Amino acid sequence: MKVYFKSLGLHLKSLLEYKASFITTFLSQILVFFSYYFTILALFTRFDNIKGFTLYEVLLCFGVIQFGFAFNESFARGIDRFDKLIIHGEFDRILLRPKNIILQAAGYDEDFAKVSRLLQAIIVIVIALVNLDIAWSPLKLITLLLMMVAAVIVFFSIFLLAASYCFITVQGLEVTNVFTDGGKHMAQYPIGIFKKGFVWFFTFIIPYAFVNYYPLLYFIGKINNPIYAFSPLLVFLYLIPCILIFYRGIKKYTGAGS
Amino acid sequence: MRAYLSYFRLRFITCLQYRAAAWAGIATQLFFGFVYIMVYMAFYESGSAELPMELPQLITYIWLMQSLLSLVSMFYKDEDIFSLVRTGNIAYELARPKNLYFMWYFKIIGDRLAKVLLRFVPFIIFLLILPVPYRISLPASLPHFLIFIATMTAGSLLMTTIITLYPIITMHTLSEKGIVGIIIAFAEILSGIVVPIPFFPKFLQVISKCLPFQYVSDLPFRIYVGNIGINDGLYGLLIQIIWIFIMGTLGYILMHKSLKKVVVQGG
Repeated sequence: MKVYFKSLGLHLKSLLEYKASFITTFLSQILVFFSYYFTILALFTRFDNIKGFTLYEVLLCFGVIQFGFAFNESFARGIDRFDKLIIHGEFDRILLRPKNIILQAAGYDEDFAKVSRLLQAIIVIVIALVNLDIAWSPLKLITLLLMMVAAVIVFFSIFLLAASYCFITVQGLEVTNVFTDGGKHMAQYPIGIFKKGFVWFFTFIIPYAFVNYYPLLYFIGKINNPIYAFSPLLVFLYLIPCILIFYRGIKKYTGAGS
Repeated sequence: MRAYLSYFRLRFITCLQYRAAAWAGIATQLFFGFVYIMVYMAFYESGSAELPMELPQLITYIWLMQSLLSLVSMFYKDEDIFSLVRTGNIAYELARPKNLYFMWYFKIIGDRLAKVLLRFVPFIIFLLILPVPYRISLPASLPHFLIFIATMTAGSLLMTTIITLYPIITMHTLSEKGIVGIIIAFAEILSGIVVPIPFFPKFLQVISKCLPFQYVSDLPFRIYVGNIGINDGLYGLLIQIIWIFIMGTLGYILMHKSLKKVVVQGG
């Protein structure tokens, strides 16, 4: 872990050598992120609810999932771009070092411009919370924290799965974009608004619904059963097989030359 | 002219090599199309007093967007031209006895057309056999369709004049991420790719009317679905042509200005 933070620091230092470039990139990231919730804002000027969910409820949903994605993009970029690690032979170097492989791969490449998305996601969450009328209780606070951690874990799990796939195919698979980018895009909205088949897939195959739908229902008081508050814990379980598959992949790994 | 056309052909053939990527692209665009449609459906079912577009029109608009996205998108990630500027290989380009602006122009449009033509036919066939609420509709009428073809062609030319500006600006900034990234994000929003223009708040509709971006794809798509009438469509075509002229001249002048004081990076 200490090594991971050291590599983080080094990446940051190298970036700050080019200050103007860093600042403009940061700004452009803010705008790109804005285009994501621009859809929600624009549509809510026309409609006052989407299947009973109000603007700030949707924004909270959006903020949580974007927080998870941006966290991975900022701090675990190496896993997201795992095929590059393998193609360039960098992964062989990682294997030689006596440190945790997943952490090393995660810290291999950091993208600090993406931190702007992380900040913005947090701001969106705060704005949503201020405008929502929530009957706060200790359990609700726990629910919110669980949701945010689960958002980070769900994307980390999927990136790990996609990375394990790279061991077999070497080239990254574009179709996985459907599950990360596409899934992220869908989970911006409360998953209940979609048709049955979609909801089923993104509940049981990839557990987005447990990140920001079922706990959200409890959090905003649509459902009062406290079991819903702990549903993000299922996402934590999801991580275990993903890690196991990744390590199985490493055992099969034969290197890609150079 | 023949040299430029062969640039176009070369890029086309290169793109045809990546068939697997094309299928993955189709899958992604289908998925996104369904997500967008379901979101709009949910909004429409929740009711509202004034709807700027009917649902079937909107669904067809979304499918047109998804099937032509690689042609009309304001994003430009192709490393080739950007790395020319960054690595100094632009020197080789300058050594060629052809106009750099038009070389880049045809490279970009060739790239875009190749990507779209690869995916378009299987995609559209699939969309035509989808079950009813999701199926893409036929054009509003034959005249609408003809003006759609004309404005789509002009829109593609306009798109290329805008995209060609990105590497030209990069000649000044040396990194395609900062300023160019900001322009791309603005262009993407104001072109109606994120949300169709009729759903914009009023003041933004006024702003985007004064800019070229909504004439790339929003205009032709709305003509196709019948949201814009024949006369307004022809008027839009005129504005498109004016914008092609303005953006083209701007790019051409900017490029030749910066070529005068170009500093080749690296050796």
